[in-house]
Formats: sequence, C-alpha cells, structure tokens
Amino acid sequence: MPGRWASRRTHGEDAGAPCAESAALPPAKLHVVGRDSYANWEAIYRDNVERIYRLMYAKVGNRPDAEDLTAEVFITALRPLRVSASVGEVRSYLLATARTTLASHWRRTLGREVTTLDTDTDQVEQVLTEGPENPTALTRVQGILAGLPDRYRRILELRFLGSCSLKEAAAELGVSVANAKVLQHRALRLAAERGL
Amino acid sequence: MRGMRRYIEDLLGSRRPRPFHAEADDDTMLRAAINLRAARPGSDVPNDEFVAGLEERLTNELAPAPTVEASRRPSRRQFVQAASVAATAAALGAGVDHVVSDGSNSPSNADQMLIPNDGQWRTVTASADLAEGGVQPFDLGTVVGFLTRTHGQVRAVSGVCTHLGCRLALEAATRRLDCPCHNAAFALTGQVVEHQLRVAPRPLPHLLAREVDGAVQVFGPAASTS
Repeated sequence: MPGRWASRRTHGEDAGAPCAESAALPPAKLHVVGRDSYANWEAIYRDNVERIYRLMYAKVGNRPDAEDLTAEVFITALRPLRVSASVGEVRSYLLATARTTLASHWRRTLGREVTTLDTDTDQVEQVLTEGPENPTALTRVQGILAGLPDRYRRILELRFLGSCSLKEAAAELGVSVANAKVLQHRALRLAAERGL
Repeated sequence: MRGMRRYIEDLLGSRRPRPFHAEADDDTMLRAAINLRAARPGSDVPNDEFVAGLEERLTNELAPAPTVEASRRPSRRQFVQAASVAATAAALGAGVDHVVSDGSNSPSNADQMLIPNDGQWRTVTASADLAEGGVQPFDLGTVVGFLTRTHGQVRAVSGVCTHLGCRLALEAATRRLDCPCHNAAFALTGQVVEHQLRVAPRPLPHLLAREVDGAVQVFGPAASTS
C-alpha cells in the first residue's frame, strides 16, 4: 500500500502504525514577495532561508548537514550582496552559492559529488514552489518503491520513511536483525538501480 | 562498503553522517538513501531555533566594523590586539565596500566574529572530550580561545582580552575568563562581566566552530608552515 506514508500525517492518527513519528508537522510558512528588491539583508535572509534549507535538505537528507550548508551559503553570500539587487538577482546569486557550497561539501566529506544542485532544472523549482509536504518527491519515491518486491519495499518504508530501528523493522518483518540488514542493503541497491 | 553502511545508518539515525572515501559505485546507493530520507513529508522544514540562531550569527558578522580604533592608529596597541579586535576589523574592513548593512553607522556592541580571510577548519579537540556544559581551551598558534558546549551546540570565543591583549585565564569555579592584567572578566559567551576601566572593553569575538566526524573544529588562520 504505497499511499500509507503520505496519508499518515494528514489523518494525524498513528495508533496502529509501526514506529510512528510523534513530531507534529509545523505549519507551512508562506512568503509573499511584493517588491522588486529587498529592504535590507534581514529581509533577504527571512525570505530565502527556508528555500535554501529545503534545497540543501533534498540534497543531503539530514538536518545537521543541511543546517551547516545553509549557514555557509548565507555567510558566504550576504557580504558581497548589494541590498539594491532585485529579488531575482539575489535568488540566483544565493542559488549559485548553494551549488558551489554543496559541491565543496561532497569533495570534503566523500570525495565524490553524490548529489548536485543544477540550478536550471525543474527539480529546483519544484522543491522551491511546493510546500513542505513535497508531494512530488514522495510520489516519485513511492512509484519506484511500488515496483520493488514486497519485502524490499517494506524494509525501505519502515526504515527510511518511517523511523523504525533495524530491530523494530526486523520484528515487523519477522526476520532476524542480521537478515534485515542484508535485506535493507539489497533493497536499497535495487531501488538505486531503478533510478531512485 | 563499511563506510557507506555507516553513512546510511547515520542518515537513518538523523545524525551527521561521517565522511569516508566513497568509491565510484557508491554514488547511486547514497543518492537513493538521501532521496528516500528527503521524501518524508515535513522532514525538510528548518528548525525555528536554527533559523533564529543563524540570523543572530549573521547580525554579528555583518555588524559595522570597529574601524576607527584600528585604522586611525596603526600602533603597538593595534599590534597587541591582533588576535582579537584588530583581526576582526581587518577582516570586516577589507571588504567594507561590500558589507551589507542596515545603513546605521552607530558603533555596535554586538558580538564580533573572527573570520580569517584565508581561514581553514582546524581540529582542536575530540567531540567526546567536550561534554555538555564543558569548557576546553584551544590554541591555534596565532589564535587562542575557549570552546564551550551548551544545549549540544559547540561555540568558540577568543581567549585574548579586548582591552590590551593579555591572554585570559579560565576560572573554572565561576566559569569566567579573567584577564590577569587589569581585572577585566568575561563570561564564556564573550560578554564583559566585570571591569575597572573607564570604557568597557568590547565583548570577546566569536569564532566559527563545528563538529565533523567526532572532532571539534574551529575556523582559524591557516596553520603556518614554518
């Protein structure tokens, strides 16, 4: 049932779900930009911090790295920015800074560019225009998961989309922890081969 | 393989993934793991505390530079202050045409950030050696200071008095940084706690600090090769 992870949040009732996440979804914040340029750097920051953070999160998949990279983007970009620049100029400058910041993050940590921020692709626009429920990313992921063998799909859902520990996921699937570990590895490899 | 497994388990545990030397065919699996984690609804909303904290940090960094003291008198006094105020002023002053400010030129008492022009991240201690509430001195040769950990967050302040540049000593019992020269004392946050001067010394500048792979790093001047 690939739709269950999407619907859990909105129904707000997780009593029977395994390893349910307790954190409530914060309310979506809307940014309305009615002018052609910003009043001061604080306005630049407030209008863009969430955009940059969400882009980074989509590329690193974890909060500590996304926070560090977001901070690095603003620290690097704000000083040389002219406040008089247009909203569009400011945003492209921030995006360009984000792209190089992400590239150097990967060079520093893994030596390979695992993900890139192609500033002219649709994906950037999609992350930026959609709300935090990011339905497109979820639909895409679920489409690929739905094509996997049942147990592969289950372990990935339990561990990556839910918040099950390896032990909990093993119990849910009725296998040993060692088996769950192998299952997860194979499932992830197959999902990767299918373009996840 | 081991490095990648650990990286993925860190992702799943919402910890900072530890670096490793990735092979060519690791890319696709790592990307798949990242895409899966990032697809969780609501996972990519920034934490309010982070957003407010970063704004504060930017405010400190973009504050008007204390250029008067440093540029008018290139004296011995500036020299002895090199590790603190002057270094900050130079770093900020050098790019003064590019500084984005709110237009006010009033001297700011806000914290200063010491960011060397050609700085680099330098490991100063192991994460495990800096417990919650702990304090650790560090010495980068040209810059000295103290690390603290509060609510899990690591911070670094300069360890040089902003009055005349004497090196501060940690008074562990009171958690203060005492100046041996003129009885000034600073809190570990850099704020002045006590002084006997006519004009209060500036707060201690902060340095950028982070944790990577179990190590605490400070963004300081490049290590000298001599």
